[in-house]
Amino acid sequence: MIVMLAKSGLQLLLLLLVAPLLSGIIQTLKARLQTRRGPDIVQPYRDLFKLLRKGMVIPDTASWIFSAAPYMVFVTAALVGLMIPMAATDAPFSLFGGILAVIYLLALGRFFLALGGLDTGSSFGGLGSSREMTISAIAEPAMMLAIFTVALSANSTNLSEMARSAVSQSWRFLAPSQMLAFSGLFIVLIAETGRIPVDNPATHLELTMIHEAMILEYSGPYLALIEWGASIKQLVLMTLLVNTFFPFGLSPNWTVSGLGLGLCFYLFKLLLLACCIVLVETTNAKMRLFRVPELLAVAFILGALALISTFLF
Amino acid sequence: MSFLHDPQFGDRMITLMAALVLVLQIAMVGQRWLMTNIRMFALQSFLLATIAGTIAFFNHAEHVYIAALLTLFLKAGLLPYLLVRLVKRVGIQQEIEPLINVPVSVLISGGLTLVGYIVGDSFYHPEETSAAAALGHNTLAIAIALFLIGFFMMLNRRKALTQVLGLLCMENGLFLAGISLTYGVPLVVEFGIFFDLLVAVMVLGILVYRIGETFDSMDVSKLRRLRG
Repeated sequence: MIVMLAKSGLQLLLLLLVAPLLSGIIQTLKARLQTRRGPDIVQPYRDLFKLLRKGMVIPDTASWIFSAAPYMVFVTAALVGLMIPMAATDAPFSLFGGILAVIYLLALGRFFLALGGLDTGSSFGGLGSSREMTISAIAEPAMMLAIFTVALSANSTNLSEMARSAVSQSWRFLAPSQMLAFSGLFIVLIAETGRIPVDNPATHLELTMIHEAMILEYSGPYLALIEWGASIKQLVLMTLLVNTFFPFGLSPNWTVSGLGLGLCFYLFKLLLLACCIVLVETTNAKMRLFRVPELLAVAFILGALALISTFLF
Repeated sequence: MSFLHDPQFGDRMITLMAALVLVLQIAMVGQRWLMTNIRMFALQSFLLATIAGTIAFFNHAEHVYIAALLTLFLKAGLLPYLLVRLVKRVGIQQEIEPLINVPVSVLISGGLTLVGYIVGDSFYHPEETSAAAALGHNTLAIAIALFLIGFFMMLNRRKALTQVLGLLCMENGLFLAGISLTYGVPLVVEFGIFFDLLVAVMVLGILVYRIGETFDSMDVSKLRRLRG
């Protein structure tokens, strides 16, 4: 019990600290690639710190849902973060649920965020919520198909089991089914984290915004919680991608030396994936909203083909 | 570098690259911009050349190197260059308008891939454990899928130039099938196919240009009308 609490504490700390850093790194890399100076990589920490100290403005029309949504978003993201293996193959909460719990906890967070957007009755909030739901309705099955491919070759939906089996068959990521699943999941990652071909994370001045439209009414600590939750969700999805497909360096146990090495490998893999995201964001223009389902249809087909090809090979 | 002599490693690399070729093909169906489509075709041909090179290396089949080099220079270099020049010269609208909308097209290509796998599976006999049979299994399925999707791309598009792209994708599928099953057709035939393709693209280029000049559009459905 105490051991599990200690593990959870460690992983939670890692989660809370790395998530804003990762957003910062992506922001800075993106700016550098576009030959701008851009913000510091610690800017997200400063933003969070500033927002947490500020007062809040709550609209008169808002009900309790408006205040509950930020906590739900943050707590579900953090809970999911404890269920996935980060530096070691054993996640602290791995007994509480497998990949289905992860997907649906994320969906729960998104559901409350959409409700929070609708709750104030402002037109932008409703617009953002409806868009978010439209996109997630297609992104979610694509994500499931891709993840099930990995689960199938590991014979388990438990994420720690999946990571362990991936470590034991180190060349498995070269299999075509894994590659197809990875491409599908990468598109889903872009859509779920609101990156450029789907949504623009840098601005709330665009009529086609999705995430920013939902949180337009939030301010102060609530906004900080939502932003922090969103960056944790991004970290969780990226971790899912790097650790289930490229499990190099995952420590099989919770020893100090193993964890240290695992952490180094983990951060390095995250950095590589962040570079890929930055490249995609810089080389693409934002899609028209009605074109987004086409992109997600490609992700869905890739996931479906991946699942089918595991049966055929 | 012991893994360089391990045929299993070569097999894995070939299957992986073939899967990437398939991903590119589906992305081409889902992509609306003509220039990006041409670039994707170039990338796909480059991957094919790499597959051919890998097969040549692991099976010590020297003549396949020539096919690989030809693919690299012609299909990944010259043909995309010619197509890009044509697009710039004709000054056509750059967006592809498929007959069937994109999500459904992508779904259909997924179904066609499945057909490819089912057809490819009937050629697979696990009791023959020679290297060629093992190699053919995955790549043949992908090659048939490429062929079918290329055919579908030709049917699905209105503009003459985009139909040329479909034709080239079909040829890529044939090349992959040939190279994965039999380590390439004889070199003379290979030369013939490449020359054929080059001439075809040049002639089609001129044709497309003429269509554009005469009809002010490259929409082949307008070819029904007679003009003096």
